[in-house]
Amino acid sequence: MSEKTLTYEQINDELLGMLERPHPSYFLLLLGFLLALGLFVLSLAIQIDVGIGYSGISHPIGWGVYITNFVFWIGIGHAGTLISAVFYLTRAPWRTAIYRGAEAMTVFAVMTAGLFPLLHTGRPWLAYWLIPYPNQRMLWVNFKSPLVWDVFAVSTYLTVSVLFFMIGLIPDIAIMRDDAILKGKKLKALIFTPLSFFWRGTNHQWLHYMRAYLIYAAIATPLVFSVHSIVSWDFAMATLPGWHTTIFAPYFVAGAIFSGLAMVMTVLIPMRVVFGLEKYITDHVVQSVCRVILFTSIIVGYAYFSEFFIGWYSGDVFERSIFYFRPFGAMKEWTLLGDQSIGFPQVAFFLMVFCNVIAPIPLWRWKIRNNIMAVWIICGLINVGMWFERFNIVGSSLQRDFLPSAWGSYWPTIIEFGITVGSFGFFFTLFTLFSKSLPAMAIMEMKESAHPPMRKETHG
Amino acid sequence: MGKFSGVWASFEYLDETTEAIEKIRKQGKQPQVLSPCPRHEIDHALGEPQTRLPFISLIFGGLGCLTGYSFPAWTASDWVLPVSGKPIVAIPPFTIIGFELTILFTAIFTLAGMIGLIVIDTFRNPLPKGAKKYPRFQRDRFGVVVSCEPSQTKEFEELLKAHGAEEVHVENS
Repeated sequence: MSEKTLTYEQINDELLGMLERPHPSYFLLLLGFLLALGLFVLSLAIQIDVGIGYSGISHPIGWGVYITNFVFWIGIGHAGTLISAVFYLTRAPWRTAIYRGAEAMTVFAVMTAGLFPLLHTGRPWLAYWLIPYPNQRMLWVNFKSPLVWDVFAVSTYLTVSVLFFMIGLIPDIAIMRDDAILKGKKLKALIFTPLSFFWRGTNHQWLHYMRAYLIYAAIATPLVFSVHSIVSWDFAMATLPGWHTTIFAPYFVAGAIFSGLAMVMTVLIPMRVVFGLEKYITDHVVQSVCRVILFTSIIVGYAYFSEFFIGWYSGDVFERSIFYFRPFGAMKEWTLLGDQSIGFPQVAFFLMVFCNVIAPIPLWRWKIRNNIMAVWIICGLINVGMWFERFNIVGSSLQRDFLPSAWGSYWPTIIEFGITVGSFGFFFTLFTLFSKSLPAMAIMEMKESAHPPMRKETHG
Repeated sequence: MGKFSGVWASFEYLDETTEAIEKIRKQGKQPQVLSPCPRHEIDHALGEPQTRLPFISLIFGGLGCLTGYSFPAWTASDWVLPVSGKPIVAIPPFTIIGFELTILFTAIFTLAGMIGLIVIDTFRNPLPKGAKKYPRFQRDRFGVVVSCEPSQTKEFEELLKAHGAEEVHVENS
């Protein structure tokens, strides 16, 4: 059954049914995520209390797992806006079923990501220094610094994502309000009335609303591409071998879309099974997302190849050495330092290539794309691979720059592991709470894409 | 909120709703329509109304762009910090701030503009109390509201009934 054959009433009732009293297993799942969140809070508290020295970050590795996590989570946050804005403008009908979940993911992922630069500053309570505000000595931030670009890019992205998310929710909260009125649940109706901004669904409201939605889609589209480009310039603006390259912006954006869509599938496939949403998140939807994942996987794979090719083709000894170091470790003539072993960067490199380039290859087959379990496993692998891709970029170049005397190595401490694992707890706790408190599927848009009720059946 | 005098009706089918809207417009009245989701058929029937929202977005987007370039330029000139003979007011890095603030201002003021325009329209076109309380317009029913003189209510009541309205109510508040 396709969404076209569903009635308004059916869509309304079935999707609101997702918000009914949860099964005990939901609380069990939530408890698991809350434990991870607890680990996150505890690790954060220790890290902030003791100071940045408690992490493995030390000269010359100034950026470790925290910046890796920042780039990873910002990347995850790209899928929602891509689906809600870019696919809205390109009129991809399959986006309707997954856009709300993906957008919520965006908001939560950017919230998670935003914590890391703050933590990384070492004194997060002074993070407001990054914002240009009139202070006593009228000192301003350096607008030529990529760090300040990041502040503007990430805060704009968070603001736009939250507003876009909120705008999409208004008619659905009005649906929840009216449902509460119909069922005589007065308290719920009282709560939802102001939250729905007193929405009535008049033609005037729809007129301004739909135009606002279109404008948001239009401005969010370049924003999606700009945010990860600007994040990539944090690296590319530095004259460090392996970082100082023009391919970084498109490479990062493709990686972000790739990882974001993989996370959308990782989250929505279990939701489809648990809530029985096969009518809405159809096989066609899963197939379409898989095709975009496959497409971005090719771009990412090409970027990996291109980096190595240009490293070799440049003839630059430092570029060549870093691209030798990434897969194979130290070069033979430099073994005087005794650092010949395959370490964390090398493991990260092979995991990255396997998960991001090789693992998605089966998706070329229709049968695999149609196998929900196979898609879920592949998407899980992509999530792992993308984390290691970020680490591969952040970690390896800093370990080996121009002077062997300035080389070093890096291994995350237990606190960094705690914060990394805990950040998933933070993200999934928020998403799990969301899935039972607000409609995780856009009810209004599902109705819009359904065939409207007609007395005289003329078409459809 | 203004007082309402007129007729409102609920419809099950979209085609009957649009036919009723067209007939009401032929009588010289512009009805208000309530629907669970936006439908282009309703827009066609209402004569393709337009919104001023894009102008608001454009103006504030432009303001954001101007702020994004001029603010860093002013701060750089206010506290001159020469680095390697590079330009003090450098356009390429300020373009990033300009771009981000264009988006940020557009986003914030589009939302503010949308809320403002909706509030204005709500005051200009009051809804009858009964239609406000009717809980199925967000669910699966279409509503048509005609604001008219008490002397005309009979005429519109019959028109709405003739076009398959489920319920028709006359209200003078």
